[in-house]
Amino acid sequence: MEFKVEAHRIMSISLGKIYNSRVQRGGIKLHKNLLVSLVLRSARQVYLSDYYGGICLSAQQAREWCEGEYMASKQGKLVPGSTESLSESDEQSEVAVDKQEPRDVVESPAGLHVETQASGEQDSAENGVSDSGCSDIKTPEESPEATQTCEVASVVTAISSNCISAPSPSDPKEETETPTDCQTDNSESAEKHSYEPKAPQAYTNRKRTADDSELTDSPTKRTKLTSTSLPSTNDENKGETEEMDTSNVSSLITIFGSSFSGLLSNKEGEQPDSEAEDSDSGQICCDQMLKNLNPWSTAIVAF
Amino acid sequence: MLKYTFKGVGGGNDFQWCFSQVKGAIDEDVAEADIISTVEFNYSGELLATGDKGGRVVIFQREQESKNRPHSRGEYNVYSTFQSHEPEFDYLKSLEIEEKINKIRWLPQQNAAHSLLSTNDKTIKLWKISQRDKRAEGYNLKDEDGRLRDPFRITSLRVPVLLPMDRMVEASPRRIFANAHTYHINSISVNSDHETYLSADDLRVNLWHLEITDRSFNIVDIKPANMEELTEVITAAECHPHQCNVFVYSSSKGTIRLCDMRAAALCDRQSKFFEEPEDPSSRSFFSEIISSISDVKFSHSGRYMMTRDYLSVKVWDLNMENRPVETYQVHEYLRSKLCSLYENDCIFDKFECCWNGADSAIMTGSYNNFFRMFDRNTRRDVTLEASRENSKPRAILKARKVSTGGKRKKDEISVDSLDFNKKILHTAWHPKENVIAVAATNNLYIFQDKIN
Repeated sequence: MEFKVEAHRIMSISLGKIYNSRVQRGGIKLHKNLLVSLVLRSARQVYLSDYYGGICLSAQQAREWCEGEYMASKQGKLVPGSTESLSESDEQSEVAVDKQEPRDVVESPAGLHVETQASGEQDSAENGVSDSGCSDIKTPEESPEATQTCEVASVVTAISSNCISAPSPSDPKEETETPTDCQTDNSESAEKHSYEPKAPQAYTNRKRTADDSELTDSPTKRTKLTSTSLPSTNDENKGETEEMDTSNVSSLITIFGSSFSGLLSNKEGEQPDSEAEDSDSGQICCDQMLKNLNPWSTAIVAF
Repeated sequence: MLKYTFKGVGGGNDFQWCFSQVKGAIDEDVAEADIISTVEFNYSGELLATGDKGGRVVIFQREQESKNRPHSRGEYNVYSTFQSHEPEFDYLKSLEIEEKINKIRWLPQQNAAHSLLSTNDKTIKLWKISQRDKRAEGYNLKDEDGRLRDPFRITSLRVPVLLPMDRMVEASPRRIFANAHTYHINSISVNSDHETYLSADDLRVNLWHLEITDRSFNIVDIKPANMEELTEVITAAECHPHQCNVFVYSSSKGTIRLCDMRAAALCDRQSKFFEEPEDPSSRSFFSEIISSISDVKFSHSGRYMMTRDYLSVKVWDLNMENRPVETYQVHEYLRSKLCSLYENDCIFDKFECCWNGADSAIMTGSYNNFFRMFDRNTRRDVTLEASRENSKPRAILKARKVSTGGKRKKDEISVDSLDFNKKILHTAWHPKENVIAVAATNNLYIFQDKIN
């Protein structure tokens, strides 16, 4: 248990560092953020491996299968999928998920959509995900969806990198000025990672819902952090900043499991893309985002 | 058994280090801009350059040894000060570019002027430092104050004479190598051909020609197609001191790659790969951070290279890739404190290391203004301190010791009393003599060996 507490503490410190790196002079330091993310990953592995030691495997597998089915039908909208598959899980987990969802839906519909892809990318890079005692998840995914998730993956990159490079993005128009960079990245990632993001995403969502049921005391933490970390008070900017940050919130939640739900507000989200930022594609691809907004809202309506 | 005396390190058995000079403000309040960020002797050791966080370069010159004071070697006095880099703003990415000088590297001297390369995160500049200590007097066509003389007034010819004047040193930027690095530049290294140099950032290494500023060759690119797959970055790079086709670069994973530029235009595939297998018993959350290499330096002979990671210095034989030939623990007592050092960001400190001219000793910095020296032949090591208290002229430096166990002996300092804000990241050793420059925050200490 001590390890768990220590791991949790290290995770929160790491997230704080990633957040602070946004406002540091000289731009984000790639090296430092990479190291911090490695620590974050190690701590998370320890934290979650401790937890998953006692989880019933069959329940997990059933849940993830439902998620997989839903994904197949809804163009890879994992979060709704996970919510649907919570029929057997606690109300609490549903509540935890829903708490985020409405907020995200209202402000950043693409955010949640995007988050699942980000989680997938993140997990694909991790080694320890499947080591926590659970069986490998190989849900049958269709490649077209996978391709689309890859597209969105690069959007996440772009979104987060935009967040990092411009903490208060004020004008979407500015962002559309350099679509070429993003597009290049999109095609690259789409080609190379057709299948990887899918399986890990399901796994991550499963973990997330499972953890949601445990940590219901976190909402207070989250609220507090949200209020302190929003940089902009300008209403116009705030809406957009929040949108950016919420999407990042969601993405990191999915990535690291809801053990972070108390810690996350606007602090994380840089993490998956702290490595991607201050690279050539420092601008958001509004075109890409807008494309994905529509299918997402359809999914919401369906719910 | 480790003795308290430090005889034998860096020289013969009678060797002792003495305080020589300290440069910088004594004020307790340290201005961030004054923090020294790089120290480098030139090839002859006559000049010593420092760069600071404010983007300034200060060059010290060694005075000629005076016959009047045979016991004091030449002192270093300010030769030139100039603003090398200014803070900039990248409007496209809304990022501020720091003016902090990351590295200075001297170019070999080719004429009366001295040249050096200085770099911040994004731009490298070649500065020429020239001095004038004579002026001509007695021109025919102009007055002493420069006004042209009326030709009709000139009735005779005279030969102008050279008269001494107050020395005037001026630094001018001769080349500006910009816009070649997307990420933060961490190293520059002049090649042994004296025509090219390399610059390295987190993901790429570029090769430049000193005369050409509008383009460079990219010779290493470790940026993955998908940035989410990024697992390591380049932390340092250096050219081989004699073979102009060979260079090395170190990574955040504790590995070093040696590349031969003759093999391919893009040296993504290394010729040699140096990595020491990790000791599984010492694994912790911070294993990756402390294995990240912060500095790599070839020996003067070119046969060895030295790497610095957070807790140790390793000497590698270029012919043996699977493990270093020597490993020196700098401050092993910090291993149990890694979590605290992570919290206060000290674990990310990038310590440098350096060789002495003969490659028989190595030096690196630590905390509490301590710096460490290791003698490779005798295997003796010593911990010394750069402090104002030991700043009497020619005062012999006393060896310091950090107590690791429960009992703290007299004159020892306990780990918990160490001041982690006083860190020595940058040190330099004179290429030929036993003179060292140690940068302690905003002060530059110069120590010399005691003349018997």
